[in-house]
Amino acid sequence: MIKNYRISTNILRFFIYLFLAVLLIVTLLPVWLLLVNATRSTLEIQQGISLLPSQYTLSNYKILLSKGLDLPQGFLNSLTIAAATTIITVYFSMLTAYGIVGYDFKGKKFLYNSILVLVMIPMQLSIIGFYQYMSRFGLTDNYLSLILPSIASAGAVFFFKQYLESIMIQDLIDAGRIDGASELGIFHRIMFPIAVPGAFTLGIFTFVAAWNNFFNAYILITSRQKYTLPMLVQTLRGDVYRHEYGAIYLGLAASVIPIIIIYFLFSRYIVNGISMGAVKE
Amino acid sequence: MVHKKIRKINHGYLFVAPFIIGFLLFGLYPVYNTLSLSFTDATLMKADSNFIGLKNFERLFQDKTFITAVTNTWELWIMNFIPQLGIAMLLAVWFTDVRLKIKAGGVWRMLFYMPNLLMPAAIAALYFSLFSYYGPINQFLVRSDLIPEAIDFLRNKEITRAIVVFIQWWMWYGQTTILLMAAMTSISISLYEAAVIDGANSWKMFRYITLPLIKPVMIYILVTSLVGGMQMFDIPMLLTDGRGSPANAILTNNIMMYMRFRSSQGHIGAASTIGVMIFIMTTFVALLIFYLLREKHDDFKGKSS
Repeated sequence: MIKNYRISTNILRFFIYLFLAVLLIVTLLPVWLLLVNATRSTLEIQQGISLLPSQYTLSNYKILLSKGLDLPQGFLNSLTIAAATTIITVYFSMLTAYGIVGYDFKGKKFLYNSILVLVMIPMQLSIIGFYQYMSRFGLTDNYLSLILPSIASAGAVFFFKQYLESIMIQDLIDAGRIDGASELGIFHRIMFPIAVPGAFTLGIFTFVAAWNNFFNAYILITSRQKYTLPMLVQTLRGDVYRHEYGAIYLGLAASVIPIIIIYFLFSRYIVNGISMGAVKE
Repeated sequence: MVHKKIRKINHGYLFVAPFIIGFLLFGLYPVYNTLSLSFTDATLMKADSNFIGLKNFERLFQDKTFITAVTNTWELWIMNFIPQLGIAMLLAVWFTDVRLKIKAGGVWRMLFYMPNLLMPAAIAALYFSLFSYYGPINQFLVRSDLIPEAIDFLRNKEITRAIVVFIQWWMWYGQTTILLMAAMTSISISLYEAAVIDGANSWKMFRYITLPLIKPVMIYILVTSLVGGMQMFDIPMLLTDGRGSPANAILTNNIMMYMRFRSSQGHIGAASTIGVMIFIMTTFVALLIFYLLREKHDDFKGKSS
């Protein structure tokens, strides 16, 4: 009886591993083909599929540049926006959450409940109005219009509210007050250092989202030298690059490689961070 | 004592003030502006606009393209959500099963999640290249004699839709797995032990212990996926020509809104109307989900507040 049971479990286990392996190939193969093809010449790509890298990365890059695709500029633009968005989101969201967790004031519950509702509002409901409003101030085609809204990131406040509640040490804050630290000083010198792991987790997610964000930039940014990476990627679909497959794959690879690196460095923060907002008792 | 309390109250407001100001400027006002634009004939070409009441909405409902866009968005979302939840459930059950002892669960799920973080614009362009006429998929299929000659995948309505559905599934099943696993591992093991003693089999344990206890997370997954699905843009936009080709097969709500916005006149009034309609539709369905799947017992209320 027990022996049969063990055999059937082993058979089941075999099929599960088989399934997982197939799923893994389906999941990673497209990305692998992208990375490999970025190193292969257009001729090689046309001749057939290969899973091994070649040595044409540099010549692909030269083709990209010769067609007028300023990859370094796009890289710098995306990096600027993503970094600024991340810093602003993390700082102001934690500040807001600390105000909610650490203090009592009239309208606090209302504020917190409205934040919960705000998380649900899709960007479609505001983007057109936002564009028209920004154009009145001449802020379209300006990174400020992409960066500044992150001062009020409802989702990030929600995350930090839960996070700060779980790590807050009231005694430490009271001790700071007794030592004569200002309230803002307590936030900067006591709360923030304790909350660094949470700030880091949220920071990664914010960075990745800002790096990948296409829609808002596509609506708001118009001049070519301000294009972000996803916008440059979109131009790769055009006729200029027709049949320059190696160069196209290289352009695509360049926009996903930084994220892949970040992911392999910090995957533990990321995987744990995903369920932080959802599974909470 | 009184003095201290007053000081604390003032500081609370101070800390939340930047958020409130930022929200009024960049959150609330744009929403208000979109709503009011939706009742006007505003374009980007002229400075003034007229209030035209519900005309934009009437026009939208008579527009067959809009009906197509809404139907497409729903179909593309549902077709990817069902297998997404199914596969994720299977994986989560396997990875959390103490008896199966699947090795390196953390590594598997880390790799399964990876596509989610990659730039959707690049992913769409990648799949465009993979499925193009001279692309690797055709090369493989023709050389291994599976098909006689190359197929123009992205000119076929059904295949193009299937590719969008696949990409969405591919990007999201890992995240759903992680969420379900987090919910399952938070269930007390003693419940299962008691069930084993009572002679329950795996299916019964899943049906009567796991499923009811992960319901809040499943609602979370369903609603966030719905809200995201209704905003689907990057993938269908960049997989083909940016207009939902072939024959509007992958035209979604957001693509249509964008097309109104970038039309030669820049019809921001009509574009706003689409945004408002999608919002109303999404909210209505999300509330319906909350209502239908609400906890019938009182314990839920206590937990959520």
